[in-house]
Amino acid sequence: MSGTINVSRNDKETTISVKGRFNFEMHSQFRAAYQSDSGDENQGRRFVIDLAGTEYIDSSALGMLLLLREEAGANESDIEIINTRPEIRKILETANFQRLFKIA
Amino acid sequence: MKILIVDDDPINRTILQRLLGKEGHEVITADNGVDGVDRFVEHQPDLVLLDIRMPRMNGYEAAQQIKRISSARFTPIIFLTAVTDEEGLVQCIDAGGDDFLTKPFNRTILQAKIGAMERIRQLHARLRLQKEELELHQERVHQELEVGRHIFSHIVSAGNLMDAPCLNHWTSPMTLFNGDLLVASYNPAGGLHIMLGDFTGHGLSAAVAAMPVADIFYDMTAQGFTIGDMAEAMNVKLLSIMPKRMFCAACLIEVDYRQKSLNIWNGGLPDVLIADGSGRIAHRIVSSRLPLGVVPMTREDRKVELLEMHGDYRVFLLSDGVTEATDPQGGMYGTERLESHFDGSRSPEELFRGILDDLERFRDGAEQTDDVSLLEIVCARASEDPRGIDAKRQRTAIPPTPWEASFTFSAQTLKSVDPLPTIINAVMNLQAPTGHRERLYTILAELFSNALDHGLLQLDTRTKKSPEGFIQYYTQREERLARLEQGTIRLELAHLPRPGDPNGKEPMGGEIHILMEDSGAGFELAQVHTQLLGNTGHGGRGIALMRSLCHSLEYQGRGNRAKAVYRWTV
Repeated sequence: MSGTINVSRNDKETTISVKGRFNFEMHSQFRAAYQSDSGDENQGRRFVIDLAGTEYIDSSALGMLLLLREEAGANESDIEIINTRPEIRKILETANFQRLFKIA
Repeated sequence: MKILIVDDDPINRTILQRLLGKEGHEVITADNGVDGVDRFVEHQPDLVLLDIRMPRMNGYEAAQQIKRISSARFTPIIFLTAVTDEEGLVQCIDAGGDDFLTKPFNRTILQAKIGAMERIRQLHARLRLQKEELELHQERVHQELEVGRHIFSHIVSAGNLMDAPCLNHWTSPMTLFNGDLLVASYNPAGGLHIMLGDFTGHGLSAAVAAMPVADIFYDMTAQGFTIGDMAEAMNVKLLSIMPKRMFCAACLIEVDYRQKSLNIWNGGLPDVLIADGSGRIAHRIVSSRLPLGVVPMTREDRKVELLEMHGDYRVFLLSDGVTEATDPQGGMYGTERLESHFDGSRSPEELFRGILDDLERFRDGAEQTDDVSLLEIVCARASEDPRGIDAKRQRTAIPPTPWEASFTFSAQTLKSVDPLPTIINAVMNLQAPTGHRERLYTILAELFSNALDHGLLQLDTRTKKSPEGFIQYYTQREERLARLEQGTIRLELAHLPRPGDPNGKEPMGGEIHILMEDSGAGFELAQVHTQLLGNTGHGGRGIALMRSLCHSLEYQGRGNRAKAVYRWTV
């Protein structure tokens, strides 16, 4: 069983909430979440990834975060990962993702 | 279409036969169930029209038999019935009928039903064809993967020293290909390099990316590069070949039994656990770097954790497949359960087996969801020779010729590169004194580090004698090297061929004359001797080793010029 994704967007910010298991099965859902219908640029847009309802995160999910980071302008990207439970935070920190994303 | 009509009423048969014949169908008839089944086998019709009440065998039973016989392909059966009650119709469908037609026959309805059945029949035929193609394709892919796996395992294990006496390892790939890469090899100075890499994903894509990494590992280890250099080279390679969403969590370890040190670089793997003689965790090396293939490395990222190696240490290295292994209920093994093995109640030599057995018990036959790797380094056995390594080495030597080379390294060069691997490679390419590489490398490395550490950086070996001093020495070395602005190291190499005894008593070979000179203040000659002697103590290779390797060794000038002669034979 994999999870579900909810997206809310405004002019400047996209919030993506992941519930359940964040794994390789979520790839197309997650991609669709950050690629806007209107096709406007993601560079310079702020992203918030809400992991409040996330039970588990695997390395494919870390790969998806890296893809988003690239899409949002790599080193210039503004991505915050919020509501990380201790286990998930540990996985993100083992990969030293705090150097690439703001993690709260 | 070929249509079989089974009906004991000759009038019905005639009506249907005419009707269908006019539509251009080929018609076969039978007047009872038994004959109907026989005709079916004989003619393989595309559609069957079946009456229910008939002598010898009724329609329900005939339908069941026909469906059984033609199970591989779909042959629609339409029941011809006078009954219109629901129960009778349900019975038709239960017996294997696909539709029914009530008497008296209406031509339009009959045509419509035959048309609908034909469409379904064609759909079935197409599905069956696709299924067969899919099965064939799957078989072909499987065979190709088998071949790929064979090639992969040979590339990755080329010269692999996973059977080095000090290593215990266990890997369990989830698919045909292992997404965990586990390799080990000796460097020219006799140190052991070990790497565990865990690629995003499993199977083929991970295996393909693992191949260049294994190549870099073997190549650079053999050339004498450090694990920091290797991590950087692998990172550059992976950044250029892998898609953005793939990366490789990796840990590289160098075990140097001569220096009694452990160098560890951990980017993205679970904590490396180091147990002491009591079976408790004495050190843990947490991942302090990003995994390989994510972003370009900084100078800081190349840095490794240095640890003094004790004889009773056991190093445990694992992929997250261990801590994230699941039981049948979906619960995770977790770091807590893993580390509970290190509570001091178990004897150290049973830890490795104990963890594996416990993991097996925990999983209780649950499906594996990731590649799992566990490796143990038994430091007490780090100095033992690997089994059968020399036997494999090919001996090819270039006939001895005279040549000379000289290098001068500025402070700026010394800060940014380690020139030794390049130099030893030049010597190997010019002269190929096979079998002498390790010894030559050790001599050059020893003279070079003396010139740099004591000559230019003014470090005192005596610092290394105490356990605290060990780390302090290397910290000081790093700080002073970073601040180094002036000074040079000059290296002169000259090769003099020795033709050997014509009677064949002494084989031909040569002498390599090495001069290593630094611009430092030097020492009193007596002090040089003590400095070198000091190296034999805590974590040094020292003069005894040098004397045993060199034909001659002397210090000149103010102690800043070392001259060594190394003799080799083909």
